Amino acid sequence: MWKSGGAALCGAALLACGAMSDAPTFTAAVPRSVRAGDPVPVTLRLTNPGTKPVDLYLTGRTVTFDVIVARADGAIVWRRLEGATGQQIIQVKTLAPGEVFELRATWNAAAAPGDYTVQGVLPTDGEALRTKAVPLRITAAR
Amino acid sequence: MSRRVAAVRLLSIAALTAAAACSDSTTPSGAGALPVLNAVQVPEQAVLARTVPGFGGFFFDEGVPTVYLTDVAQRGAVARALGISTGTLQVRSARYAYRQLDTWFQRVSYEAFEIPGVVFADLDEAHNVVLVGVEHRAAAASVRGLAARLGLPAQAFAVREVEPISYMATLRDQVRPVVAGLQINFSNFLCSIGFNATSGGQASFVTASHCTDRQGGVEGTQYFQSLASQANSFIGTEVADPDYVRNSPGCPRGKKCRLSDAARAAYATGVSNAFAIASTSGPNNGSLTITGTFSVTGKGTAAVGATVNKIGRTTGWTQGRVSQTCVTTGVLGSNVALICQTFVDAGVGGGDSGSDVFALSGSSATLLGVLWGGNSAGTLFVYSPMSGIEAELGTLTVN
Repeated sequence: MWKSGGAALCGAALLACGAMSDAPTFTAAVPRSVRAGDPVPVTLRLTNPGTKPVDLYLTGRTVTFDVIVARADGAIVWRRLEGATGQQIIQVKTLAPGEVFELRATWNAAAAPGDYTVQGVLPTDGEALRTKAVPLRITAAR
Repeated sequence: MSRRVAAVRLLSIAALTAAAACSDSTTPSGAGALPVLNAVQVPEQAVLARTVPGFGGFFFDEGVPTVYLTDVAQRGAVARALGISTGTLQVRSARYAYRQLDTWFQRVSYEAFEIPGVVFADLDEAHNVVLVGVEHRAAAASVRGLAARLGLPAQAFAVREVEPISYMATLRDQVRPVVAGLQINFSNFLCSIGFNATSGGQASFVTASHCTDRQGGVEGTQYFQSLASQANSFIGTEVADPDYVRNSPGCPRGKKCRLSDAARAAYATGVSNAFAIASTSGPNNGSLTITGTFSVTGKGTAAVGATVNKIGRTTGWTQGRVSQTCVTTGVLGSNVALICQTFVDAGVGGGDSGSDVFALSGSSATLLGVLWGGNSAGTLFVYSPMSGIEAELGTLTVN
């Protein structure tokens, strides 16, 4: 019962970037459905499917990432980094060929039943990396 | 070797208005009237050399189209080639034909760059000579010797002492002397330099405390500018970074606190540095190219509403107003809180940590503190004021 969406990356965040087919992918995974108030585990995966190492310029000593939960009409109901002050340091992280870098967060589904989307955002020293928005259905509490 | 770098030029002139009147004997009969050329596309010098006998070079003299000719009777041929009337053309007598100069230029250019201090070689069409730019007299003497050996007549050759030409540096490049705002590298992290300072007679720079191998405590972090992978990039070693402590005045329960996210590193022997901040072309324009420096003239404080600046390796020069002062600020993903910090509504990005924050008056900068944090949108930055920095690192001489 997992769903994921991904986007190929090749830009300022990468020191080296090969052919697009080898470009790292950034995906988000959440349960397809949860009950209101239950914890929602969010897993972001940055994958290097290529045959060469890729260097990433990421923000924070502990890598900073955002998770955005939005209603179907686009209204944001939760942001992991809302109001947070983060250290503005760059961490150069090398992804080996085939390596998967995972980032995890949990949101307590404090929202009315309905359809939502979840998107991961990874700030870099250039454009932030963004996953595709994946759907999440919140059903009535028990 | 360099090949015809400066000899071949294509000049595009839009709505050119010539403003000079001409009076020499080769000036056209229409002299006195101001020739106006609209959107003239001037052929390459080499093309004119092929089509006009005795052509020696073409340029604009104070806006007036001017040609060197070994045979001034060829004025009409030049005018036809340029698509202008002979009345608008100024002619100068040439000693040498362009093709002859080009032959000499090729020879000189091929060999001159083996001489230390040679900056450029040019077929100078505005003076009908081969011109070599050099950094110093010794190079000039060597170049003159080369020209003589290659058989150039003395009047066909000129040497000029000039500044060396270098690539435009950015805040992320290796730059000496080391100044505030430049990128620094330690371990696998990138930050910016806050400011240079002397402490107890020790030449130093200040950056963010979290821009050390361990935030709080001295572990001798080694710094490189701009990257450890570059030659001669080691610049200094961390020497001061007080511990973060619980239960200090104002420290929230459960947090470890300090008054500043700042650390000091001592410059390595021989690393040139200056009490200055690298400047870019302007605030909030995204440029990282260094165009000069601001002189640091002192230390100060900023109140809410004051306009302040920062220059760092990621977002360059950003400027905005102080929105809050003396804010107890929690740090994302840590148990650290910083007491009495200043918020500014201005751009920031990862890698700007450690940057200088300053007020500006002309080219004089008053240091206000060191940037360490920001919001996720990159629209607000947080800095530690100088008072907190000096309370923890000791008195710092900054100019």
